Amino acid sequence: MTHMHIPDGILPIWLWLAGFLVMSLVLAFSFYRVRGMDTKKKVPLLGALSAVMLVGMTLPVLPGYHINLTVVTGILMGPSLGMVAAFVTNVILSLMGHGGITVIGLNTLLVGSETVLGHLLFTLLKRLPVFWRAAVATVLTLFITTLMLVGIVAVSHLDPEVLHQGEEHGNEILNGSVSTFAWMALSLGAVGWLIEAAITGAVVRFIAQVKPDLLGHDLHRSPGRKG
Amino acid sequence: MLDVAKIDHWAASGSGPFHRASTLSKVLFLMLVVAGAVVASSPYPLMAGYALILAVAIGARLPWTSMVPLSLYAVVFALLYGLSLRGGALLFGLLIFKAVTPSLAMITLIMTTPYPRIFSLLSTVLPELLASTLFMTYRTLFILLDMMGNFAAAIRLRGGLSPGSLAKNSSNIARGIAMLLVRAVERASRLYAVMAVRGYSGSMAQKGAEGLRPGDWLPLGTGVLVLAAAIAWK
Repeated sequence: MTHMHIPDGILPIWLWLAGFLVMSLVLAFSFYRVRGMDTKKKVPLLGALSAVMLVGMTLPVLPGYHINLTVVTGILMGPSLGMVAAFVTNVILSLMGHGGITVIGLNTLLVGSETVLGHLLFTLLKRLPVFWRAAVATVLTLFITTLMLVGIVAVSHLDPEVLHQGEEHGNEILNGSVSTFAWMALSLGAVGWLIEAAITGAVVRFIAQVKPDLLGHDLHRSPGRKG
Repeated sequence: MLDVAKIDHWAASGSGPFHRASTLSKVLFLMLVVAGAVVASSPYPLMAGYALILAVAIGARLPWTSMVPLSLYAVVFALLYGLSLRGGALLFGLLIFKAVTPSLAMITLIMTTPYPRIFSLLSTVLPELLASTLFMTYRTLFILLDMMGNFAAAIRLRGGLSPGSLAKNSSNIARGIAMLLVRAVERASRLYAVMAVRGYSGSMAQKGAEGLRPGDWLPLGTGVLVLAAAIAWK
């Protein structure tokens, strides 16, 4: 829900370059974490789950809303491979004209954060029934990543050169405009969080009934490691 | 969302000058247009750039009537972002053309270049795991879209989607996605087994970039003109 459909040339250069830098560091850390895994075994699975995310994004559940399935991917793949899936999904989305090339870094960080937070929260909320566990993890995850999106937009306005934004009354305009964006993102986003939560909860409950081993996190465990 | 299968068909079946140009030149064309959008501070050079790319697409016999609506898809978030900046008409014009001009360049690239060739070029700079996953995702995407289409038809025929019943529809859609996901994972496991038997060693995408050819003047020239206009109009 929270990836940016921002085209190229709109965000300040330093911001998207920083996005690429942080994304590279995070991906490098993810690769470090999966170094013990048989990664060639993971490629078909990563491809399948990245494709499922892309298919989810083709489903308009309400006008203007599509689902992402990032939390499901995080729950099934774990944080490190979830981050890899987020990168792959964003590269293919940008190759489809769905968001700019320059924002791949920031979008990977946003979508990747959803997989990481989704996995983490699902693991923490053990006491809840599986539907609510996944649904609550989804709402909390999307709330946090929407705040991150608002933060990115707020930071992007801090560039004094950005798009001829005048220095006079700059702070006044900045505060007003960011709060407008935040209000729109949070209020419109909240509807999306609930839809995504309902679908994620139902999907994870179905998996728990039909193929519970997928939720045992065997998928992202190295063959040689336990726990 | 874009019709991926149709784009793939256009990319693989065309024979115009853009189709004949090398992948490297078309990726460079895209980069030049993106650079033009990044440095532009007025909407007019980008407007001219959009018109130029469109004229080239028409001249190269590309399906421009499909390309224009697809390029406008990028406008929505640009407008939302523009609202957050509270600028005037010129700012909105700049934001819109910063969105649609690179978007048209991207659509020109993907409508004239099969995805495996783009991934092949990307695999020269990306780690093996990422390059192989990109290729596998692309391959699996078409299978899943087909399965999802069949599922949607089946659920409609059985009365599973009824207007006005959001809860029932959501529940059925969720079951469809869950089934798709389980099948995707099972297919991935089977595919790995088949690939392992056939000697898969971790490398999948064909590596290497083709060099530039004489026919590359069209994408390279177009890109250079867009960037030059953006720099000159300062």
